[in-house]
Amino acid sequence: MLQAPVLIVVIPLMFTFVALILGLWKKGLCYPIVLIALSLSFLATLQTLNIVITSGTIHYRLGNWSPPWGIEYVVDYLNAFVLPVISFVAIMVAIYSKKSIEKELPDKVVYFYCIFLLQVTGFLGIVVTGDMFNLYVFLEIASLSGYALISMGEDGAPIASFNYLIFGTIGACFYLLGVGYLYAATGSLNMADLAKLLPNLYGSRVILVGFSFFMVGLALKMALFPLHVWLPDAYTHAPSSVSALLAPLMTKVGAYVLIRVTYTVFKPYFSIEILPATTILSWIAAAAIIFGAAMALAQTDLKRMLTYILVSEVGYLALGIGLGNRNGLTGAILHILNDAFMMLALFMVVGAIIYRYGGRRISQLRYLHKKMPFTMAVFVIVALSVIGIPPTCGFFSKWYLLLGAINAHGWIFVAVLLVSSLLNAILFFRVIENVYLEPHDGDVVENHDIVVSVEEAPLTMLVPILITGAGILSLGVLSGKIISTIIQFAIPAGF
Amino acid sequence: MFDLIVSKYNYWIYIILMMIGFYAMIGKKNLIKKVIGMNIFQTAIILFFVSTASKKGGTLPIIMHGHGEHAVNAASYINPLPHVLMLTAIVVMVSTLGVALAILIVIYRKYHTLEEDEILRFHK
Amino acid sequence: MRVLAFITVIITGLILIYGAQDLPNWGDPNSPASLHVSPRYIEKTMEETATPNMVTSVLADYRGYDTLGETTVIFTAGISCILILRERKRRKKKKS
Repeated sequence: MLQAPVLIVVIPLMFTFVALILGLWKKGLCYPIVLIALSLSFLATLQTLNIVITSGTIHYRLGNWSPPWGIEYVVDYLNAFVLPVISFVAIMVAIYSKKSIEKELPDKVVYFYCIFLLQVTGFLGIVVTGDMFNLYVFLEIASLSGYALISMGEDGAPIASFNYLIFGTIGACFYLLGVGYLYAATGSLNMADLAKLLPNLYGSRVILVGFSFFMVGLALKMALFPLHVWLPDAYTHAPSSVSALLAPLMTKVGAYVLIRVTYTVFKPYFSIEILPATTILSWIAAAAIIFGAAMALAQTDLKRMLTYILVSEVGYLALGIGLGNRNGLTGAILHILNDAFMMLALFMVVGAIIYRYGGRRISQLRYLHKKMPFTMAVFVIVALSVIGIPPTCGFFSKWYLLLGAINAHGWIFVAVLLVSSLLNAILFFRVIENVYLEPHDGDVVENHDIVVSVEEAPLTMLVPILITGAGILSLGVLSGKIISTIIQFAIPAGF
Repeated sequence: MFDLIVSKYNYWIYIILMMIGFYAMIGKKNLIKKVIGMNIFQTAIILFFVSTASKKGGTLPIIMHGHGEHAVNAASYINPLPHVLMLTAIVVMVSTLGVALAILIVIYRKYHTLEEDEILRFHK
Repeated sequence: MRVLAFITVIITGLILIYGAQDLPNWGDPNSPASLHVSPRYIEKTMEETATPNMVTSVLADYRGYDTLGETTVIFTAGISCILILRERKRRKKKKS
């Protein structure tokens, strides 16, 4: 099945048209079509991973034109690892979104699912391509869908989405400027070709400025510390399914592109020695980790607290990339997988609470452990994972980040990692303590409801939450196997 | 020094245009002015890219007068690749403009103003 | 806030101008962009694609996948506008 790399992107794209036409005829047909499209795409990603493990890097030429004159899909271990993560998160949110969207956006279900499929197409297209300008096109597909989806939410959503639009467009334009500078200096747009041509030009000012613009543009898209200001408002006011889709994926895809640009297009020799980019990146990442955890402590709204935890998690990713050694990069790549699952579970749990009860202030969450036992159990598992307690998966990625920081003699980073674990522990225990107490008036669960039986989230929302929770536990146990089979070879050459 | 300014004057003009657009995007308070600034910024990037395609003495990238009868010299036609990339970038720019204006319509319907300060006051 | 925006703009502009000093001159026929990938597009366009318009042959043949992405962007923008702007029909339709 040699067409697998391109089928990953083309199947959701073609099914968008099918979903639009059939959905306008009969509204109920949308949901099964979305599930079929995403399942086929997930199977294609697994097949691609299989081919990469057995036969090595895939070079797929679109239109059979050899690179750099045509566009090429290069799928190596790093690509093939991130693709199934994106597909799996998309399927989980698609199953989860049925009840939630029917409640929040009852008359726009068809269009919502079309933009949903296009968003997933954009993310998959960004990860699988090997051409710089093709990446820009798919980045814009993903961004435009994101702006539309976020503006569908509640009160502050349109202005938050507009703010995100302005920041996101600045990021994409800076990326395009970087591509332009690199093209004017080398004449090529293909990543592998640039990796061959750039080492002769390392002294040129054009390459230096191009690299800086890449970094700033990708930091804007990834929500790295000083440029994260769009993230809390946008993900708090968005509908529950949209936050559950965008929060795990957008930042991880941005981190993937950062690894590509820093270590594959520009060799590690450039990013670490010639320009101290990785040093600056690791200091900014340390600030992001502490800032995210500290701001999360000050929040009273549960969803907003989770968005600040997301800012902190992006800091972990950037720290792993910036440390510049094998252990740090292993930690960063493993954290892409782990953090996608953790953020997915967290935002799905909050969405379930909002669906059932409508309230989301932390002080209103008392007694929920009796009314939604399974959901809260998964929440406790995810909390343990974010803090970093074995055998959940969060422990292993933090462990590799710690090893990387020790290898690079960055004792400040070791301290930052440990302090942030402590801050996360305080954060989550505050919420869990509230959940396991008796209710007061004005809470989510009223006093007279205590004797009523369990009122869990509906089944289509509960099953993805449980699967993700089980996934977090099993990924922790399987971490060693994942690292030795896939991640070990995913680290770019030169380390 | 003077030679540097004169031989690359296209880059200086487009960079100044980009910075005008960028300032409008982040420094102005009215939302429509931000969108106009976004448009200026993206247009200037497109012009910057296209200006790298020109060649002295080159003509349009279309082969005229007969198909395949004479050999084609690469130095007598300008570079077609940046033009192609910028066709796609123009389409992306117009699409982003469309979505931005749609979001502004929804904001206006809700708050009846388009000044950022007044909208933020609703949310305090 | 305006001062911060102004300083950011000035710094960005200075970095761009600093980087543009090493760019090829305007109209240079020996720039890397004109020597590396594009000669094949210009010279072989009649043999390989039978299209005298080079921009068309690159857009639709050599880099046709980007054109597919571009049409998807337009489609996304169209459906987004419907999604954002559509309002539920009121019970009484106001005639304007």
